[in-house]
Amino acid sequence: MLKSVGPNFYTPFLSLFDQLVLGNCVLLVNLRRMRLEKCWFCSSTVYPGHGIKFVRNDAKIFRFCRSKCHKNFKMKRNPCKVKWTKAYRRLHGKDMTQDSTFEFERKRNRPERYDRNLAENTLKAIKKIDKIRSDRASDHIKNRLKTGKVQRQKEARKQLELGIHLVKASLALAQDSSLCLPKIKVNVSQAQTEENQPMEE
Amino acid sequence: MGCAIVVHVYGGTPTEATPQELICIRVIGASNCRYTYIGDVIIAVIKEAVPNIPLEISEMIRAIIVRTRKELKHDNRMIIQHDDNATVIIDQEGNPKGTRIFGANAPKLRQLNFTKIVSLALE
Repeated sequence: MLKSVGPNFYTPFLSLFDQLVLGNCVLLVNLRRMRLEKCWFCSSTVYPGHGIKFVRNDAKIFRFCRSKCHKNFKMKRNPCKVKWTKAYRRLHGKDMTQDSTFEFERKRNRPERYDRNLAENTLKAIKKIDKIRSDRASDHIKNRLKTGKVQRQKEARKQLELGIHLVKASLALAQDSSLCLPKIKVNVSQAQTEENQPMEE
Repeated sequence: MGCAIVVHVYGGTPTEATPQELICIRVIGASNCRYTYIGDVIIAVIKEAVPNIPLEISEMIRAIIVRTRKELKHDNRMIIQHDDNATVIIDQEGNPKGTRIFGANAPKLRQLNFTKIVSLALE
């Protein structure tokens, strides 16, 4: 079966037909095209040889990366409501949803004629785009967590003020005049204290 | 190892003008076979029939399994599971008796040269 198939832009699995390139001619004999799929439930990548594919009777295909996702699906859980899934995170703004780097990863069903330069550039681009995307994603999360961080610091500072006696020994506070209010000396007459002694016992 | 339609299990049939439920009696090509996969031809008895069709209850027929709820493991370690157990009623040569086939079919049928079934199938 002679077939000219090039890499879809975002499938890094090129090793299979790289080996078969003879000069300018590409021969693919009975080759199953490998594709990195997305798990339907958690949106993680399903590598070949992993996971289960469920074909519903209306011919809709559900791919699962592992039995955890598969079991959740069988329980009829909605991934948008399950907190650890990508669907939930995107829906609730936890993860970056809109970015130009996502355009590169769209699925294209148009096979491209194999071109060595194209393949090489694609591979380089994949790496770079990946890095950019993950940097932006982590920035997104950092910015999201920033407001919480500021507030936590404020609360921490207040708590420190209130509970300074737990942090520094009271003796140290006493000795260091900068840490506490100025002391007021009260004179107690000697006769009064001697009278009180038997009462204390 | 691995099982699908156990002998004596009901399976629906997806061809047009055919009964609703079959019970699998025997597997062709294997004696004392307990389990069958997609692509196995079985002898089945019709248990429940849709009215106004040429086949009746307790008629013995041949059928080929096209969908199983039990996962089928492919050579490339891909595991596929369907929603139900389903068969297509065929005659001795392997041609489907019906004229239409509903539902998804496994690619394994093509490998086993059931071309008529594959060509009739929509999905």
